[in-house]
Parts: sequence; structure tokens; C-alpha cells
Amino acid sequence: MARRTFARARDGSLQVTLFEQEAELLVMTARDMATLVEEPPDGAVRDRLYPRAYLDPTEESAQQEYDAVVHDDLVTARKRAFEAIADRLEAAQPNRRGMIELVLGTDEESQWLTGLNDARLVIGTALGVTEDGDTDYPRDDPRFEYGVLYGWLTALHFELVSVFLDEIGEAGTDDPAPF
Amino acid sequence: MSAPGVEEITIPDTVEELLGGEDARPDVPWIVIVWNDPINTFAYVIFVFQKLFGYSRAKASRLTNQVHFEGKAVVASGTREKCEADVARLHAHGLWATMQKDD
Repeated sequence: MARRTFARARDGSLQVTLFEQEAELLVMTARDMATLVEEPPDGAVRDRLYPRAYLDPTEESAQQEYDAVVHDDLVTARKRAFEAIADRLEAAQPNRRGMIELVLGTDEESQWLTGLNDARLVIGTALGVTEDGDTDYPRDDPRFEYGVLYGWLTALHFELVSVFLDEIGEAGTDDPAPF
Repeated sequence: MSAPGVEEITIPDTVEELLGGEDARPDVPWIVIVWNDPINTFAYVIFVFQKLFGYSRAKASRLTNQVHFEGKAVVASGTREKCEADVARLHAHGLWATMQKDD
């Protein structure tokens, strides 16, 4: 049976339907991420979450200005997104079928879209995911559990992106690139 | 998130531009590049390009293919301030974006 996690309701709101265990897993993940995005470990995960705007080392002062203007807001937005996801899920009671159902506001839709992907960025980078995206590690591999989590988050995010892609449609500017 | 409010003085790139001569370069001295990464999906990157830049599905798909198969693509251009704002929005969406002078 094809169960849809994300669906647009008639009134335009976005409905989320998760098994209780899925909701619990997402709460745990979001709580972990809310802490991690604030102080990521030095290295690949930090670089992936907060990349430089300027690669040119002679633009170091511009890079520092960019960080001064952008960095704290980006950290705060990410932390708030994960907290919003976790808070809403934790406050919800399962229905008679054991499902958690939420109706998201417009701001929350963006927070779920970027939050689910930010979690993928952190976990995928830590796992060293490659182009094939394969995270089906053997059970005795220390990456096994996070590999499963990554695959599940990827499926969730893909379904959410599909809803937004349908809605944004095909139209838009298509001018020849000026470069 | 707020757009960068960095106040910059635009320095002419060339003598022609400085003198306002006929060979002055168009006013697009900076470009925004998105780099390939193994985690962001095609569908998500296409959506982000459509949402942030108003591109058609066809153009957003072409750019996403270019990012994936060639390793990077120029997705926007303009003044330093505009490009910093674009990079900030791309970073907020988890894309690996940088900016540089369009030499």
C-alpha cells in the first residue's frame, strides 16, 4: 500500500501523516540536529553546513564580512527549524490508527523542507555518502543504523520535494544565460 | 533570513570601464556557482533553482544536470551585493554555492 506522508489538503495546508514510531525517530533526529547545527564538529560536516561564499583566499575580508552578516542568522534558522519540527511532533497525540497527523503552516513547510535536507547533509557527510547514494551497509557495519536513517530521510524529503515541484510547475524565466 | 547588507564600493574592473569607454564590460562582474555534491537530490536542486531564481523547469533542469555532470554551473550573476544575497539563500537551502569575479 502506498502511504503518503505529505499531502496537500483542499484548504491548501500541508498534511503530514507519520507512524508513531516514525514521529519518535524524527523527534530524536531533530533534537540531535538542533544541537549539532549550532556547534558542528570541525571538519567535513561543518564545511558542508556552512561553506565559504568566496573560494578566493584574497577575498578573506569579504568572507569575514559575509560570515558576520549571514552566519548567525543561518545557524538560528536551522536550529529553529529543527526545534519546530520536534515541538510539533511531540505535542501531537496519535489517532486511533496509531498515526501522528499534523497540519503545517507556510513557515513550517519551509522548515520541514530545509530541515529534512539539513539532516541528510549532516548524516550523509558523516557517513561519507558517495554519488550512488547507497547507504545499505551490512548489519555489523558501525554505519548501519545511520545508513538506514539516511535512506528513510531521503525518501521522506523526496516525497516532500515532489509535492512542491508539482505546485511550482514548469513555467518560469528561460532567458539565455548571459555567460 | 536577512539578505547581506554589506556596503561595498564597486571598483571598476578595467580601464575602459573606469573611463566609461565603449569597451566597458556589462554590469555583471560577479557570478554565483553551484558545485556538485553527492547528497542533494536532482529534484531538490531543480526546485531550489525554480524557487529562488524563478527559472522554468527546463532551465532549472539544465543547470542541475550541468552541476551534476560537469561538477558546477553558473546559476546567477550580478553585483557583489546581489551575488552575496543569492549565495546566502542557496546556503540556507543547503546547496554548495560560491561566488567569484567573472574574469
